[in-house]
Amino acid sequence: MDDTQGRRAAIDARGVEVTYSDGTEAVRGIDLEVPEGEFFGFLGPNGAGKTTTIKTFATLLAPTGGTIEVNGFGVEREPRKVRETIGYMAQETSVDLELTARENVRFAAQAYGVPRSERADRIDELLELVDLADVAEKKADEFSGGMKKRLDVATALVHDPPLVFLDEPTTGLDPKARNRLWEYFQRINEEGTTLFLTTQYLEEADQLCDRISVILDGEIVAEGSPMELKRQVGGEILDVELDDADDRERAAEIARDSGVFDGDADVGVSDDGITVTAERARQHGTDLLVALRDADVTVTGFNIRAPTLDDVFLAITGEEPDLDRNGAGSEAADTASEVSAE
Amino acid sequence: MSDDTRPDDGPTAGEDGSVVDGTDAVTDGGTATREVAGSSNSFVGDFWVNFVRWNIKAVRNPFVIAGSLIQPVIFLVLFTQVFGQIATGAINRGGAATGISYETFLLPAIAMQVSLAAGAASGIGLVNDMEEGLFEKVLVTPMSRTAVFLGKTAAEILRIVVQIVIILGMGILLGADIATGVPGAIGIVCMGILFSLWFVAFSNIVAILTRDQESTIIGANLLQFPLLFVSTAFLPLEFLPGWIQTIATFNPVTYGVDGARALMLGEDVMTVIEVSRFGGVWDTLIPAIVVLLALDLALGGLMVYFLNRASSSSVQ
Repeated sequence: MDDTQGRRAAIDARGVEVTYSDGTEAVRGIDLEVPEGEFFGFLGPNGAGKTTTIKTFATLLAPTGGTIEVNGFGVEREPRKVRETIGYMAQETSVDLELTARENVRFAAQAYGVPRSERADRIDELLELVDLADVAEKKADEFSGGMKKRLDVATALVHDPPLVFLDEPTTGLDPKARNRLWEYFQRINEEGTTLFLTTQYLEEADQLCDRISVILDGEIVAEGSPMELKRQVGGEILDVELDDADDRERAAEIARDSGVFDGDADVGVSDDGITVTAERARQHGTDLLVALRDADVTVTGFNIRAPTLDDVFLAITGEEPDLDRNGAGSEAADTASEVSAE
Repeated sequence: MSDDTRPDDGPTAGEDGSVVDGTDAVTDGGTATREVAGSSNSFVGDFWVNFVRWNIKAVRNPFVIAGSLIQPVIFLVLFTQVFGQIATGAINRGGAATGISYETFLLPAIAMQVSLAAGAASGIGLVNDMEEGLFEKVLVTPMSRTAVFLGKTAAEILRIVVQIVIILGMGILLGADIATGVPGAIGIVCMGILFSLWFVAFSNIVAILTRDQESTIIGANLLQFPLLFVSTAFLPLEFLPGWIQTIATFNPVTYGVDGARALMLGEDVMTVIEVSRFGGVWDTLIPAIVVLLALDLALGGLMVYFLNRASSSSVQ
């Protein structure tokens, strides 16, 4: 029940560990505090432990170590009270395909004990919010992926919970559907709901979140607002596009060894060229191009920019963020095989 | 099934359905910035919500109702039409029963087959919920887990009742005769429920352990046939080879079928165990009920154990 800037903590987790029965340490001693009203982002690559963490907070998995309080209730001591005060949206869309949109929301309303007198209004309101009012009487199996996802959102919000967990809510959605969901999330956040969002899309975290924690191999490796994290990368970024991908290693060597940049430059290899992060990348960019030309490396593109969260991610994790928007979901498959734990 | 994941949360689980944690939700030292509406859930309410959901699903999905009726209907019609003449002669000659048609002999067995098919569908329903993420979605709600499961099971029992009534009606149209009349028919329905529960538990255990629809369908559905054939379902015990007689003695189907058949004919028909202290039809009914009840409790207990384990270790 710690105070952060005078606000209550929606989530207060200390030293959380989750070790599966096969010995996999999915979460290794993380501390997290999310004040009420915050839009919090939990960022990490596939298999980093995002889903395990969110399930532990949502009472679906018991932690093997540490303490977690959600809305002031211990997840192990008072799981039922935690469940009453949270909304949870799993990574995979979970709606009953044989029920209509309205029946799905009604089931959730009843399951969460929304008082009978408020139920009908609340169901209408939610269907309206996710733009499914006109198809409310249609069975969910007739819906597109985006519509099912929106219906899923409605069922997670029906009891107006003060805290909502969203596990990779936009994975597999087209940009239009994704933007629409983002709008809902922002709207309910503005109305005071605390949101805890896991994502592997940096753009999503950057757009939505007040604060971000980056998780890697079950440990939190960075924390801060998107701005703060970007500042950590420091300097400017020089993207050099090369004609021949085979030249990348050689080009990176030239950038490192030519003495063009100061010692603090960070040179990396990207998909189609090299990336240099340095304090004065702008000033020395031309020098690099000259050095590359002298070495017979053909440059086809050149760009100087401020760091993005992608760069933060790369700097922290050493991994290119997963850019394949539709290829996600493999984390679920990973965890599925691990959940034989007691 | 008990409420929860952890052995030590018993006292706070509030599982008995009383609204224990209604309004005192979040008011920690007056710092709550937002009012949390307490759940108005009750055990009966939770039960009802789930009962309704599974009934809607059953009605929506014609395969659920028809699917588990089709095979028993085919058996009923084909067996009586193809084997009817020979079998009627045989069962009357054998002295197992006298003056009854094969339709009358077979109908209670088909009623139990309906129970088996419906029991298999129970696990398939659960595995579907798991695959679609709905199992997890339900676990994360404050609903009583016992009520959730009882609601689902009650919907399945209702379906069994409807299906057995349909089958009995068809049997009568085909010429079967329920000697004990309406009370006997009601008894057969009750026997069907009692008989279905162990198989409901079994198919749910398979569902939890495999978490895979095909395995559950194969595991629960295919098992029905050998179970039916190595029992007293289709022929009296004395016509079966010795090894089948041995298996039939330990086959739960024998007890369900004999119980239903005793109700159908109004006499003691059980030959796997000879009981004579209760008199008449009760010499079959009492041992059948005792065996099935014990089996229901044993497998039901096992299922509760696996369900608890599955819900505490989460799902996909």
